[in-house]
Amino acid sequence: MSSKRRIRKVLVANRGEIAVRVLRTCREMGLATVAVYSEADRGALHVRKADEAVYLGPSPARESYLVVDRIVAAARKTGADAVHPGYGFLSERAELARALEAEGITFVGPRPDSMDAMGEKTTARRNMQAAGVPTVPGSPAAIAGEDEARAFCQVIGYPVMIKAAAGGGGKGMRRCDRAEDLPALWQSARREAASAFGDDRLYVEKFLDRPRHVEIQVFCDEHGNGVSLGERECSVQRRQQKVIEESPSCVVDEAMREAMGAVAVRAARAVGYVGAGTVEFLVDASRSFYFLEMNTRLQVEHPVTEMITGLDLVRMQLEVAQGERILAQDQVVRRGHAIEARVYAEDPARKFMPSPGKITYLRVPGGPGIRDDSGVYTGWVVPPYYDPMISKVVAWAPTRDQAIARLIRALEEYTVHGITTNIPYLAAALDHPAFRAGDYDTGFCARYEQDLVRPPDPRLEQVALIAAAVAAFKRDHDEAAAFAVRGDVGPARGSAWARLGRASALKGRLR
Amino acid sequence: MSTYVALLDGGRREETVEVTQQAPGLYEVRIGGRVHVVDAFKHDYGTLSLLVDAQSYTAMLDDRGAKVHVRVKSSVFPLEILDEKKLRMRRAPARFTAEGRQTITSPMPGRIVKVLVKAGDPVREGQGLVVVEAMKMENEMKSPKDGRVVELLVQEGQTVEGNARLCAVE
Repeated sequence: MSSKRRIRKVLVANRGEIAVRVLRTCREMGLATVAVYSEADRGALHVRKADEAVYLGPSPARESYLVVDRIVAAARKTGADAVHPGYGFLSERAELARALEAEGITFVGPRPDSMDAMGEKTTARRNMQAAGVPTVPGSPAAIAGEDEARAFCQVIGYPVMIKAAAGGGGKGMRRCDRAEDLPALWQSARREAASAFGDDRLYVEKFLDRPRHVEIQVFCDEHGNGVSLGERECSVQRRQQKVIEESPSCVVDEAMREAMGAVAVRAARAVGYVGAGTVEFLVDASRSFYFLEMNTRLQVEHPVTEMITGLDLVRMQLEVAQGERILAQDQVVRRGHAIEARVYAEDPARKFMPSPGKITYLRVPGGPGIRDDSGVYTGWVVPPYYDPMISKVVAWAPTRDQAIARLIRALEEYTVHGITTNIPYLAAALDHPAFRAGDYDTGFCARYEQDLVRPPDPRLEQVALIAAAVAAFKRDHDEAAAFAVRGDVGPARGSAWARLGRASALKGRLR
Repeated sequence: MSTYVALLDGGRREETVEVTQQAPGLYEVRIGGRVHVVDAFKHDYGTLSLLVDAQSYTAMLDDRGAKVHVRVKSSVFPLEILDEKKLRMRRAPARFTAEGRQTITSPMPGRIVKVLVKAGDPVREGQGLVVVEAMKMENEMKSPKDGRVVELLVQEGQTVEGNARLCAVE
């Protein structure tokens, strides 16, 4: 079944920053590209970055980005020979991979049967147990209803984690501490799972105490080769969603990295995996690790691994999809430290309430070691229908301390007007003593909530007042001209450019 | 000289700021008892470079209707800046309180996934009324006061615009 066919035209079945990210590599590889878009996304950046664009349907994802038939029809219509699914949406639906296979179109991802084996979280757990991979105690299959869930939780004991069987990305996931909270959390998780994945089945796992989330990036080709590209730690999470990711992890040393890498590659091999995949683990206080789930797609946080290894994971995905071989384990070189911060259109002071709306102004950071993967621009209206993440900023530096300082510096430069973002929250998290010390777990955001949603620095209030008052004065006195061409007074005095500017302004006036 | 009043902390605190222009781009700014010499240079949209007594700052002004969010480094100050005339107008009407009828509106466009109360139900302050889903996340709208649901304007499954009226509590 391995097609050695060269890929010439790639349809990217996604939106936002990840669609832009994939399209960029396609452009670098000289591949033709097709974007797809919903009603709300006609003006989205990814539509502009592609050679062709196909309208999918109305704005809600279940009527556009989640409709397999429409994606396949768009690929057929444009003559695309490959479909890259990005992350989220249909990326972990074997149904799409099968439908494409039937059309002779390459799916950039694993084979459908590997996705079946891993995509359904409870099946994945059984497969991993059979392959000798350690797993967190939990229900062996999806739980039919609330009553059955209550009985099962009584057996394993609280706290428990309610999870969506078809889940990922923190959607449809709830931590439940007491039996009396179960009904409300169960119903709410079910609704969220149904809306995010079109599948409302749930299961339950024991909640480990102060666990850290550490994942291994693996890559496999169809010739039986598999490598580990090392770990990413993603323990800074709010509402079960990752916010900050870094590599290396502060709890992983070389021996542990090798052990986890070997287990992860074994897990991938056990299901005949091909392409990019991530094996997620929980690491407890004694540094034992347990299989959590395997994500059979590119991860949001893949740039962290790209910065550390210098590799382009999207290019590797496309090469593997063409039947090429991957690099050998001893060719994987890890260097320095990388940290990613996810910029969300949301207000941390209002319980992370999403803040869709028009971006009236955007200026992104630059300078040494900074990468900004964004899907937005000045004037873009962030639609309310999709995930509120608008960008990822990644910093690379030789050491962890330097990477933290660099990312905070970049976040200070990052300017988004018109909507509220979590940028100050991200800077506060990076600057927190517990994060700086590397002493954090998945409870970090909840435990230090007071420190992270911090009031503005009172020392800077005078400056803010001066700025607001001077801006108001300026507006009231309409002295735009005086700002553009300054007179003989002020610090610009003596500058030849200032004199020249004034002279030509005067000349213009006399004419 | 122009006098402005800045409302801080959601209107709970006021600061008076006096601005006098000394030369183009050069100001004397008086806040409380302190006087600053300020050199201001306007960059691109909303960005103001300030040299305050020789310290260099970048202030980013994000206009949000009547309010402005001023960001300096990683600190954001939401404030409202009023001239004397606007301040007098502002002081005329009574202040907002949770007295009387309170209308609960949707903070953003989204979908009603759950209605937790019926018209006529007694409710307590902080009790959930309606769950709105936007961007795949659920947000529970809570009652601002003890009282009774006097009006319910939405149904489960309905799509709503930002600021749409959801229900009223009295």
